[in-house]
Amino acid sequence: MLDLSDRALAVLLLAPAAILLSLIIVYPVLRLLYTSFFSLSLTSGLPAEFVGLENYQLMIEDPVFWETTWNTVLITLITVPGALFVGLGLALLANLPFGMQWPVRLSLLIPWALPLSFAGLIFAWFFHSEYGVVNDVLARFGFPGVIWFNSPNLAFAAICLTIVWKTSSFMALIILAGLQTIPRSLYEAADVDGAGRIRQFFEITLPLLKPAIVVALIFRTITALQTFDIPFMMTGGGPGTSTATLAMYIHQNTVSFLDLGYGSALAVVMFALSMCVTAVYLRIIRTKE
Amino acid sequence: MSQVAASGANSFFSGKPLRFIAATILLVNGMFPALWILFTSLKTEAELTVKPITWLPHTPTLANYMQAFSDQPLHVFLFNSFMVALLSTCLTLLVSVLAAYALARLNLKYRGLILSLIIAVSTFPLVTLLVPLFEIMRALNLLNTWIALILPYTVLSLPVCTLMLVSFFEGIPRDLENAAMIDGCTRMGALFKVVVPLCAPGVFTAGILAFVNAWDEFLLALSFNSNPALRTLPVGIQLYQGEFAFPWPVISAALVVGIVPVAILIVIFQERVVSGLTSGGIKG
Repeated sequence: MLDLSDRALAVLLLAPAAILLSLIIVYPVLRLLYTSFFSLSLTSGLPAEFVGLENYQLMIEDPVFWETTWNTVLITLITVPGALFVGLGLALLANLPFGMQWPVRLSLLIPWALPLSFAGLIFAWFFHSEYGVVNDVLARFGFPGVIWFNSPNLAFAAICLTIVWKTSSFMALIILAGLQTIPRSLYEAADVDGAGRIRQFFEITLPLLKPAIVVALIFRTITALQTFDIPFMMTGGGPGTSTATLAMYIHQNTVSFLDLGYGSALAVVMFALSMCVTAVYLRIIRTKE
Repeated sequence: MSQVAASGANSFFSGKPLRFIAATILLVNGMFPALWILFTSLKTEAELTVKPITWLPHTPTLANYMQAFSDQPLHVFLFNSFMVALLSTCLTLLVSVLAAYALARLNLKYRGLILSLIIAVSTFPLVTLLVPLFEIMRALNLLNTWIALILPYTVLSLPVCTLMLVSFFEGIPRDLENAAMIDGCTRMGALFKVVVPLCAPGVFTAGILAFVNAWDEFLLALSFNSNPALRTLPVGIQLYQGEFAFPWPVISAALVVGIVPVAILIVIFQERVVSGLTSGGIKG
């Protein structure tokens, strides 16, 4: 019998995870920082050339960088609170005493399990100007049809709506789990004290849900900063670059233009943005412990 | 009973009409998009261009499904998606079971630090590594292979699965393992013969989450595998759109085919998935 000390065994057990993380995260992060200081374009065929901060300089002067970053921030600022409110609403509805639980559960799970790219395609079809169901419903109420994807603002609104739909059900599942851990006795006591439903919501439900909501919000914020699939499928970033996100711009520079140096500099910005959010997250977790 | 008597508002909140409205909102919100795609996929091209548009298909047809499989190698996309998701799930489970066992059972000096690191990695934006991963896969000649996707997908789910498994393993009494070890099992033997079987539901739940994560991923699949024979479903579906034409009924049929496998998984294991999602979410 091979009898290793606990310490040697621990090293051995953690090694596969450590190797994978080094190969797919640690080394690439270092490489990312490194490449961002080089001019490296695979289309030119030239070898990498050290250019210092030139990529960053280019970036600051690049209006598309600012536009896509602004779009990303705007999407985050709209869809994260949006998903929270819709998710909270759905969770409160789902927490009612239904005879059957599974249809409710399933209706929250299906949007979660649907790939983002599929959701983008489905909603592009929803918002289709000629045969889309959204314009059909508008027409039934007497409104004229809207060409959603020709106008930057309408296209942006359609994208945000889609993201909120797609992400709110996960939020709802997290909040629902939180709701179900709140003891009934708290509400019964509040009833005895004569507190109404609305006061109970703000003084019992919300405070007790806070920890679950905070964690869900942070995860949602980090994924919102990476928004790619839904705008890519719905508008391809158009009209022009009015609905393109930073992730789409990184993808375009890397995969379409093969400009790895510039793509890296863009990615460093996104990395920094999301590290800020992660730092807040770790801080919250630590204060909780 | 006292609750119902308490106020008029309360009887509305627990009343039948409200429950009916609530159920309708929840079901329409959750199911309508998928149902709409199903309806579209059953319509003929002629019915699709009728205005005002029809909701339910008048002359349902499966022709779009035939066309979805004949226009593009949909079965190949499905196979690629399935294999990439399955293999990365297996790898994720193997690696995270080992790591989680070390974190749950062996008294590690840096346990807190390692757990914080795992949490930090769980929020890592994989998008930002597009360039270096592209370079690495290119240098290793792995572009247009399953491996180019399996490795990143494994890392994508590794943190959440590890954290979930740590909490499952901590719920197993140590005595059971100790008994097995006294009977001559090694620690590894005890892990795979006692702990993992006892945690089978947890391991399985972690596996479903990893599978869905991999099945859904789009950006890396789009960037690393351009060869049609190696495309996964989300990437392959793009091939249906022509330069100017957008054959919505055929695309809808392909989408339905892509939704069904995961939908089946979700329908069968819904309770487990919910508990996995929410425990992972709340604990980070």
